[in-house]
Amino acid sequence: MPQSPPNLATTQFQNSTGQGTGNNGNADAPYNPPGAKNTDSCLPLHAAGEVTHNYSSNGPAPGNIVFRWLYGSNVAALNRDPRIQAVQYNEDTYILRQNVCVHWEAPFSYLLFGNKGALLIDTGATPEPAYYPLRETVDRIVARWTRFRRKQSVPLTVVMTSAEDIAQNQGIGQFTGRPGTTLAPKPLEETKRFYKLAGSWPSGASQIDLGDRIVDVIPTPGTHKDGITFYDRYNDILHTGDLLYPGKINISNDRDYVASLERLKQWRAANSVKWILGGHIEMEFAPGKAYPRFATYKPYERLLQMNPELIDDALASAREVAGKQTMLVRPDFILMNGVSPDERTRVFPAGVPNITSPRPF
Amino acid sequence: MAAQLVAAVVDGAPQTAEAPIAQQIDFTGHTPAPGSFPARWICGSPSCMDNTDPPVQVHWYNEHTVFMRQNKAYSYEAPFMHLYFGNERVLMLDQGFTTLRSDWPLRDVVDESIVKWCARHGRKPEDMELLAAFSHLHSDHYAALAQFTDRPNTRYMGLTHEEMVGFWGMTNYPEERVTLDLGGRNILIWGSPGHVISEFAYYDTYTQILFTGDMFYRGRCYITYWDKWFDSMKRLMDFLDTHPVTHVVGCHVECSRTGEDYPYGVTYQPDEAPMHLTVAELRHAFEVAKTITKPGIYFTGSVYLCNETRGTTTIDRNPYRYDS
Repeated sequence: MPQSPPNLATTQFQNSTGQGTGNNGNADAPYNPPGAKNTDSCLPLHAAGEVTHNYSSNGPAPGNIVFRWLYGSNVAALNRDPRIQAVQYNEDTYILRQNVCVHWEAPFSYLLFGNKGALLIDTGATPEPAYYPLRETVDRIVARWTRFRRKQSVPLTVVMTSAEDIAQNQGIGQFTGRPGTTLAPKPLEETKRFYKLAGSWPSGASQIDLGDRIVDVIPTPGTHKDGITFYDRYNDILHTGDLLYPGKINISNDRDYVASLERLKQWRAANSVKWILGGHIEMEFAPGKAYPRFATYKPYERLLQMNPELIDDALASAREVAGKQTMLVRPDFILMNGVSPDERTRVFPAGVPNITSPRPF
Repeated sequence: MAAQLVAAVVDGAPQTAEAPIAQQIDFTGHTPAPGSFPARWICGSPSCMDNTDPPVQVHWYNEHTVFMRQNKAYSYEAPFMHLYFGNERVLMLDQGFTTLRSDWPLRDVVDESIVKWCARHGRKPEDMELLAAFSHLHSDHYAALAQFTDRPNTRYMGLTHEEMVGFWGMTNYPEERVTLDLGGRNILIWGSPGHVISEFAYYDTYTQILFTGDMFYRGRCYITYWDKWFDSMKRLMDFLDTHPVTHVVGCHVECSRTGEDYPYGVTYQPDEAPMHLTVAELRHAFEVAKTITKPGIYFTGSVYLCNETRGTTTIDRNPYRYDS
C-alpha cells in the first residue's frame, strides 16, 4: 500500500513505517541534525564535518524489513544468489543473512552502529570466507557508514547470542587480527567476565555503549548454557538468537529456559519492545508448520520478526513442556524438550488452520 | 555455423570404418564378471552452492554395468542408480530425486552412457531398447522418470503397484521370481515388500550383484511393515542359499565408516562408508532381525533396522543439552 506523505503542517509526524509518532521525516525535530532537509535520512545533505547522530528517539526508531529473504533453490548446487543478503533496517542497523545454500541454518547477523562504535551480533555458520564472506561484507558496510558519517574509523565489537552455537560462532575467526576490533570470548566463564556479569549471571544485566546508543546484555540461558539476548534501546528490538525465534527451538535446560523467558517478560514490562528478531527462520508461512532440518529450499518461509506478545505464548508453552520429553507446536514456533531434533508429532494446536504448503519438484 | 554443423555431424556419425563389428557379447561364460566400486563416491560439500562435483557420478563397475549416484547438493537423498547393458536392451534401475531435466540432467547422462557403450560395442544407440524401472514406489527413486517419457525406443514403469507388478509380468507378487532377458544377460526379479508394499529385489546373473533397494541398505532401513519385511528377508536368505552373490547393493548410504549415523537430510557426508555390502552383513542382519520383537532402532554393525518407527527417524539428539 502506498504510504501517504507525512503532513509537515502538523506537529505529529509519522515515521517511515507509517506507524507510531517517531520524529523522523521532520526536519525541525531534534532527532535530525542541523541542516537536515525534509527527508527520512538522519544525515545532513551537506555535512561540514563528523556527523554525530542523536539516538534518542520517541518510541522505536524508524525502520523496517522491506525485502523478502532469499529462500534457496530447489537444487542447492545451482543457487547463484548472494552468499550474504544484507538488508538495511535503518541507517544505523543492518541485517545480514547467510544464504541457505551455503549453510542450511541460514543464520541472521545484526550490525548496529552508534556514534563511537559498531556491534556485530552473531557470525554465521560457515568459517570459510570463500563460501561466506562475512568479514568482507561487514568491512564494506562499515567503510560506507564511516564515509557517510565523515568519521576517521569505527571500532567494531563482535558478540554472539551463544558462543557455543556452531550456527552462530563460525564466522568470528574471520575477524581475528582486524584492527580496532574486540571479539567476544567463547568459554562461558570468560563470557561472563567479558560482559561484567561474573557475579550476577544470569539474573543481572549489563550494557554495551556504542556511543549514545546503548545495547543491553541480558543473560538468557536455556537453549544454550551461554545464551545471551541483546536489547537495542534505539530500535527497541530484542535479539534473542536461539532462545526465541520462528523455528524449532531445542530446549537444552527447561528450568533455565522458563527462567530466561520470565526475565524477558519482565524486561518487556519495563521497556518498549517493538520486535523480537531471532537467529533463524524455520517456520513456514502456514502456522504451526516448520521446514525440516537441512532444507535448502524454503519458498514459503515465515517472516523473521516476532511480535513481543509471543513472549507470553513462549513462556506458557515452556511451562507446559517443562519436565517432559515432548514437542509442542505453536503457530509461530515449536518447542522441543528432550527429544530428537527430528521429532514429529500429530498434535496440532486447536483453532489454527492446518495448511500444507506445496512441495517442490 | 555451417562448418560447426558439419563438424558436429562428423563427430556424431557412427564411424563405420573403424567401429568394431557388432558381436554378440557372452554374459554367461565367465561369471561373476569382475568389477569394482570407486574408492569414494561423491558425498556432498560443506557449502552446497560451491559444490563442484558433477550432477551425477557415473561409475563403470565393468564394461557392461554402470552405477550412478546423484550429487548430494542436488538432492540430499543422493540415491544410487544402475544401468545394465545386454545385447538387445538396457535396464535402468531408479531415476533419482529431482524431476526437471533443467535442474538435473539424468536423461543426458544416461543417453551419453548408452552412446558410449554402443560406440565401444558396435551398436547403434537407437537400436537399444531402454527399460526404465525402479526399485520401489518412492519419489526419491523415480522423480526423473518423466525425463524419459519422450525418449524413443523406451519403455517405462508406471507409478502404481499394479503397473509395477504388470511391468515385470508378475501374477503372484511377491513370491514369484521372474527372469528378464536383456539379450544374453538375465536379471532375476522378485517382490521385496516391507519398506513399502511395492518393492522389488533385482539380481544380475552377470555380475551376480544383488540389489535390495531401500529394503536393505547401508543406512536407516525404515521398516514400515515388519512381517512383510521379515518374509522378504527370508526370501533373500533362501536366494543366498541357491545363488552366488558377489555384493549386496542398496539405494543410499547414511553411515560413516565408523558406523556413525548421518542425520536425515544432511547434505555433506565426508567420511561415508562404502555403498556395497557383503553377503555376510546381510546374513548377520537377518540374525539380528530374528531377535527383534518390538519397534525401535537396531544397529547390526552395518545397517540400522528402524522397525516401525516413523519415516525420517534418526538417532540424533540436541548436542547442547546441559544440567544446571
